[in-house]
Amino acid sequence: MTHSDKNNNIDLNQFNQVFFEECAEHLAEMEQILVSLPDEGPDEEQLNAIFRAAHSIKGGAGIFGFQDMTVVTHVLESLLDRMRNHEIPFSTAMVDLFLEAGDVISMQLAGHRDGTFVRQEAIDLVRAKLQQVIDAGSVITTAESVSDESEPVVGETLKTDSTPPDKRCQFYELEFTPDPDIFRRGVRLENLFAELEDLGDLTVTAGLPVTTDFMELDPEICVCRWNMTLVTTASEADIRDIFEFVADVDQLQVRQVIEDNRENSCSDISGSTATVTEQQNHDPVATGESCADPAGAATGRRAYDKNELAPGAYGRRTSEAESSIRVGVTKVDQLINQVGELVITQLMLAQTASVLDPVLHESLHRSLLQLERNTRDLQQSVMSIRLVPISIVFSRFPRMVRELAAKLGKQVELKTIGDTTELDKGLIEKITDPLTHLVRNCMDHALEIPEMRIAAGKDPAGTITLRASQIGGRIVIDVIDDGAGLNRAKILSKAVERGIPASDSMSDEEVWQLIFAPGFSTAEAVTDISGRGVGMDVVLRNVQAMSGRVNISSEPGKGTRVTISLPLTLAILDGLSVAVGAEKFIIPLNSIVESLQPSPESLKTVNGRSVVHVRGEYIPVIALYELFNMDALVKDPGSGILILIEVEGEKAAILVDALLDEHQVVIKSIETNYRKVEGTAGATILGDGRVALILDVNSLLRMRK
Amino acid sequence: MQTGQEHTDRNGTGIASEYLTFTLGSEEYGIDILKVQEIRGYDTVTHIANAPEFIKGVINLRGVIVPIVDMRIKFKVGVPTYNEFTVVIIMNVLGRVIGMVVDGVSDVVALSGDQIKPAPEMGAALDTDYITGLGTLNDQMLILVDIEKLMSSEEMQVMEQVN
Repeated sequence: MTHSDKNNNIDLNQFNQVFFEECAEHLAEMEQILVSLPDEGPDEEQLNAIFRAAHSIKGGAGIFGFQDMTVVTHVLESLLDRMRNHEIPFSTAMVDLFLEAGDVISMQLAGHRDGTFVRQEAIDLVRAKLQQVIDAGSVITTAESVSDESEPVVGETLKTDSTPPDKRCQFYELEFTPDPDIFRRGVRLENLFAELEDLGDLTVTAGLPVTTDFMELDPEICVCRWNMTLVTTASEADIRDIFEFVADVDQLQVRQVIEDNRENSCSDISGSTATVTEQQNHDPVATGESCADPAGAATGRRAYDKNELAPGAYGRRTSEAESSIRVGVTKVDQLINQVGELVITQLMLAQTASVLDPVLHESLHRSLLQLERNTRDLQQSVMSIRLVPISIVFSRFPRMVRELAAKLGKQVELKTIGDTTELDKGLIEKITDPLTHLVRNCMDHALEIPEMRIAAGKDPAGTITLRASQIGGRIVIDVIDDGAGLNRAKILSKAVERGIPASDSMSDEEVWQLIFAPGFSTAEAVTDISGRGVGMDVVLRNVQAMSGRVNISSEPGKGTRVTISLPLTLAILDGLSVAVGAEKFIIPLNSIVESLQPSPESLKTVNGRSVVHVRGEYIPVIALYELFNMDALVKDPGSGILILIEVEGEKAAILVDALLDEHQVVIKSIETNYRKVEGTAGATILGDGRVALILDVNSLLRMRK
Repeated sequence: MQTGQEHTDRNGTGIASEYLTFTLGSEEYGIDILKVQEIRGYDTVTHIANAPEFIKGVINLRGVIVPIVDMRIKFKVGVPTYNEFTVVIIMNVLGRVIGMVVDGVSDVVALSGDQIKPAPEMGAALDTDYITGLGTLNDQMLILVDIEKLMSSEEMQVMEQVN
């Protein structure tokens, strides 16, 4: 057999990526179910789901040649299978064991994907532990499993099927007609054959059921049918297992044949039941034990079918496979760009048509109205592609909270509200760290130990609530705890100790803001969970980097609420358009304090440079026309408009000719085709199709110096 | 387009390349046709702060921000007028899209190796470094420009310099 030797050098890397992604998803799913298990144990559905995840990982790992990953998953799968069959009872300790096994598989996955270090002893340990549970459980297996079987007939044959009474070699005939797309799915048949060969003595013949014109033959489409004969001690279920990820039930025919009657049954292709009757007729001697075997094969097949139809057992592959597709982010961004262009074109059309007589061109106007509606809908749909539900972030917290709670000796219940709230994928990635910090802080500082909570007349179990919602054009995420609340006196004294300006006269809100100062921590002891004073300032910085805001409200003894407010997407910016000479500029709205027309007496000069006196402060004036070397209508600050901006505590007043409008603009890079332009943060395309530069207030301040 | 690049000249004197020819003032120039993405009319540009005079600004090309350079100003040939006949050649140079203002686009010509002569050293406005050669076609002289070298040069200030 040469099939396994050749073609092994085909580059599988492109498929590996898919496997890695899927494997990570399965692991996440498994973990999610495990941590949500009630104390009395998983129900049928949950057990099936965990089994399915483990099974898929094992199957995938096997197909892609990561044999080491199948080791742990195989034992895990066996254990889960026994549990499914009620052979081994559930115990709470198993959850931790399963989580540990999940971690080991993740580690192996990371090892393959990123080349990180894999600790072999951890793998062996988990495997041994799992095996131990199986072995311990098997003692009671024999007695229990028989009584547990609800359908005696099927149960009997199932048993004979999985553990054949004699290890006699069975003769199987297999007919495999894969679907035409099998090669496109990246399935390697030679691996499949190699696996079959491991079971026993294999012969394979390929055939063409339908002859195609050679010229029209597409090498990517599978037109072959394989007939195989296999002599093995393995059961039919074992053989079918190999085909698990490759063939649907109807694509694989497995017939068990009695040695003597091979010739007869070979000619018979009408299915296993027919074969059985024929055998019984021809071979009355074998009626005793050997008759049970084909029956076993037949019912075994039926039992397999039954499994396939079991709630959520194997069926997922076919039913949900089409519910999502993976698309590269660049493709989505390209789509968003193109739709943006379409919107601008539509605006231009509308502008051109607006001068035409509405009576004479009624149908044109109607069509344009229709076009406007359609483009708006299209834009919304396209923008929504980038949006993903926040549950992706929330789902990682249950396990973290569970483990931390155990470590800290606290009882914590985590609630999530608004899991389906959607926000931009780029933001999702960046919000994870700040949220993790906040939840850790809650667990470590805010929530009291059970005794203290009981003393305070509260439920011994503390609650942390993660709540996401969309309010207007922003996403608001609350992290709420019902702990002790912030301690005003402690924060103030700590602030003084750290040299942070603070006074007793500050309002609560101002005091709470102090905890965002770098290096601030009120925890008595630095733990490995939090208290190092990196945390809140990092949270604030990260959120601000996403053009977001953080607010805190707290009540002693009742708890604390931290509110993060984020824009829906990073690709769009709220801006004010201003005119300087013939050009338009966009100033980001979040840096604007106010705009004013200065009175002549409020304008002064310092070393020849203008400053404006606003409410007791002297603020430097930045004249854009000077900075950018261009013509402006207004060169005297006294007759123009000043826009007061504030960045990182620094203030300035930008002189412009006129204020135009407030827009939501799509940020585009100038650097893609040009170099960085000082003083700008990118460009955007206005409604008339022209380009406007977006000012970078920070770098404007630097340019002036 | 590709065929001009690939077929060997009948006389057996090197491979013929196709050039897009355009005029700047009274001079005729040629650039490799494969670098040309499209040709369009001159539109209003958005001025870029503190950019050299020959960088006219940026335009919106179907959602992409594209810088526009005026070679007439850069090479100091002709009078930079902007009217309905002014043409912008949109080029793909080193993965970037750049627009170049010229007085007019004339033709696409195939030149074989023996039709291209090395340019003499002239100390002209256009550094001979950026000229691949002088082509002759029906008694007309074509100045063949190495557009990649030119656009990536420091003096053009179109691209960020690596150092």
